[in-house]
Amino acid sequence: MAKSGHRLNRVPLLRWLVIETTAIVVMALLWATQGVLAGYSALVGGLIFLVPNTWFAYQVYKVEGARNMSRMVGNLFRAESIKIALTAVFFAAVFNLMEPIHVPALLFTFAVMVVMGAALRWFMRPKPQR
Amino acid sequence: MEMVFIAAALIIGLGALGAGIGFGLLGGKLLESTARQPEMANQLQTKTFIMAGLLDAVPMIGVGIAMYLIFVVAG
Repeated sequence: MAKSGHRLNRVPLLRWLVIETTAIVVMALLWATQGVLAGYSALVGGLIFLVPNTWFAYQVYKVEGARNMSRMVGNLFRAESIKIALTAVFFAAVFNLMEPIHVPALLFTFAVMVVMGAALRWFMRPKPQR
Repeated sequence: MEMVFIAAALIIGLGALGAGIGFGLLGGKLLESTARQPEMANQLQTKTFIMAGLLDAVPMIGVGIAMYLIFVVAG
């Protein structure tokens, strides 16, 4: 059965989200071998990445199609600014309110998730069929 | 101690500058390409989304390190 071009080019947002969540849980479990605090900090570091990124993806894909492209670009710029601001606020909140915190676990998990998220989007991008 | 704040400001400022230039180019090219070939709009939007993820990786890590410098090292 022939599918529409729109469907073929659709990004696997839900699959990305599931893989990223699984990766965060796995990393938190690996850090938990160093202690409960390290595992908890790793989980928080992963969530600091995941929550703003999910919101960014939702904002970017709120509108689609050539007619709405200028609105989509506006959403992209706004969502990126808010994503960076949200990340900064979450980090500030964690460093101020969470005591004690395992900083290497937090920052390492966050950095790994940022790189993994970018790589995941690149390697699992939809392949257009011609 | 002031040097830590200057370092954090440089990390955030230069990261934001790079991301701003990159996103400006990305959004401009997306609008230009969609105007040329509107039938490719969904494909171009997907490519833009993927590139946005690659583009903001370094500034995001920079924000994390800068917050660490401000609230843990200096605080």
